[in-house]
Amino acid sequence: MATIALEHLSYTYQTAQTPIFEHVTAKFPAHQFTLLTGPSGTGKSTLLQLMAGLLPLPADHGHICYDQTQLQNISAPDRSKRVAMMFQNPNQQFAMDTVEHELIFALENQRTDPHIIHHRLTSALDFIGIRELQHRLLNQLSGGEKQKVALAVIVAMDSDVILLDEPFASVDPDARVSLLRRLVELRDQRGKTIILADHDYAGYDQIVDHVLQITPTHQVVELSRSDWPAFFAAFQPQTLPAWFLPVPVDQPLFALHQVGLRQGQHELVRPTDLQLHAHRNTLITGANGTGKSTLFEALVRLNPYSGTINYDGHDIQKLRRKRYARHVALLFQDAEAQFFNITVAEELAQSQKYAYGDYFTPTRIQSALTQLNLAGRDEQVIYTLSEGQKKKLQILLMLIMQSPVLLMDEPLKGLDLSSIHALVKLLQTVQAATQQTLIIISHQLTGLTPLIDYHLRLADHQLQYVGEVRHES
Amino acid sequence: MNPSLKLLLLLIVALEISFTTIVSLNVALVILAGIYLLAKRVKLRTLLWLLIVPLIPAIGLWSTQYINGTGQKELMAWVLFTRIYAFVFTGATLTLTTDVLELTDSLEQNCHLPAKFAYGVLAAYNLAPKIKHEVQVIRAAGLMRGQTLSFWSPQLYFKAILISITWSQNLAQAMASHGFVEDAPRTHYRKVRVRPVDWGLLIGGIILLQLGVFVMPWH
Repeated sequence: MATIALEHLSYTYQTAQTPIFEHVTAKFPAHQFTLLTGPSGTGKSTLLQLMAGLLPLPADHGHICYDQTQLQNISAPDRSKRVAMMFQNPNQQFAMDTVEHELIFALENQRTDPHIIHHRLTSALDFIGIRELQHRLLNQLSGGEKQKVALAVIVAMDSDVILLDEPFASVDPDARVSLLRRLVELRDQRGKTIILADHDYAGYDQIVDHVLQITPTHQVVELSRSDWPAFFAAFQPQTLPAWFLPVPVDQPLFALHQVGLRQGQHELVRPTDLQLHAHRNTLITGANGTGKSTLFEALVRLNPYSGTINYDGHDIQKLRRKRYARHVALLFQDAEAQFFNITVAEELAQSQKYAYGDYFTPTRIQSALTQLNLAGRDEQVIYTLSEGQKKKLQILLMLIMQSPVLLMDEPLKGLDLSSIHALVKLLQTVQAATQQTLIIISHQLTGLTPLIDYHLRLADHQLQYVGEVRHES
Repeated sequence: MNPSLKLLLLLIVALEISFTTIVSLNVALVILAGIYLLAKRVKLRTLLWLLIVPLIPAIGLWSTQYINGTGQKELMAWVLFTRIYAFVFTGATLTLTTDVLELTDSLEQNCHLPAKFAYGVLAAYNLAPKIKHEVQVIRAAGLMRGQTLSFWSPQLYFKAILISITWSQNLAQAMASHGFVEDAPRTHYRKVRVRPVDWGLLIGGIILLQLGVFVMPWH
């Protein structure tokens, strides 16, 4: 039905100098499952958007062909029958309020006969196994449920080619397994062509037919079967060092009493008692979509929770917002959320002005900038920094603030190894002097482990410490 | 009643009472709207709120006019007082009894409003709860960097605009990927018709309004 061929494809973002793709020629065979890989920031999303026709390809930049037809020659209303895309962020792919309305919207767009719309939508929901969600509000679904709905829409539209852009970023492991099973069924029973981009390759080797890699030289190459074992072995779960279990204390930094977290009707964390400890660094791990970020949002009062959370002996709901924010700060996953000015120098000045401690003198800031390879960018507009530079700047800004507690949500996301080492070294130096408490959510553990004292794991709706009991000597 | 015709009738009513100074007309409109809302089983609590909330601006207008007005001070004070309530109650007959989706369908199918506009507004409406949370996140992020962002702070709006630009791009992509194409014909699963009775209600309503304005006004 649809083999997709890229012919001499080149693409450069308007704001960037270096191209993302240079004369790429590659083929995605019909009725097969292809995994598209490459580190974050190499252009996986861009390639999928180009293939879906969501980003226009300028003339003389090569061709994208579905069978023999060039994508730009397929009329816009017919495109959705050829190709559909599922996005990374489940919150921004629906225009309507309920599951049913979204499916109807998509089918109406395809000019489906109104008499068969009801049948098409119920059979799509049945295929994915989510008939019970038909009348639910999309806002109240969990990440995994939303992605299932997104797939149901694609099934209802009956598109030949299904593109998925890191679809499991906020999906819990059970939902991920069930979604992957449906994708395999779509390939085997309905002959769909599936192209999935991901940076976590665990579990794909049993399922996919092809693996394509985006290389540092802006090419797309197929990984030969013989290289698969080595490639997938590198992504086996890392074994973590065994840290010690914390010893319960009378005055912990945070005391959680029967704290439970929900997302709509979906339970994330079962009510639990827990202590978090001052002047120690705690690592929180757990699969996507299990509620780690929601826990952080609860700790800074951005998300409702059941039970009580005490900070330093006081219920955080009774503390004044302004005062509490000076004590407990959150490093958001999205770096831009933390920027409030235009240039790097302005951001640094703001953090210095309001800093809680005086560790970061101008000299120390300058040396930290050099250490993080950010020096000499004072007048640069922050929104033109690369994602990695934004992340490093964001971390430095929050460190300068010297709030006694810093919650860090995926601080290493998108950083290369040398940046990670520089950053961890900076964190260690700062911490030795300031005794700041760090609580860190991270998937990326390479280089981070020397910093960690305790390990909290969130799995099966349970939040608990893992490690060895410390024996008094 | 057909949502588009209802909207049209309410716009005519609002326009006309803005240019008249008839207390009896305003009061009659409030009573009629109140009866309509009760018939549509709107909760008494909600009706009570509709009475209480406009009281502050209504009293404000009344006293301003009564103290500082010229000419027929007392009449104008009561006109303004009742006009606020007439606006609120007639408006409520649309907002409390008509589903946004129904109105969108009707605007698209009966008034031939471009689908882009109809669904764009609907998508924005459905994003509203997320926007509220996002504003909280921006303010919290500000506090964590030592900056209090009040509701009139330009930085709050600068951030909110940056975020909405990203969202609108994502949403446009999502709609395109669900087969939406600007100005392309679509089919309609939920049919909204304009029945003769809808026209009758619109014309009857307009005639009734003219009776209130020209035939039996009590100032």
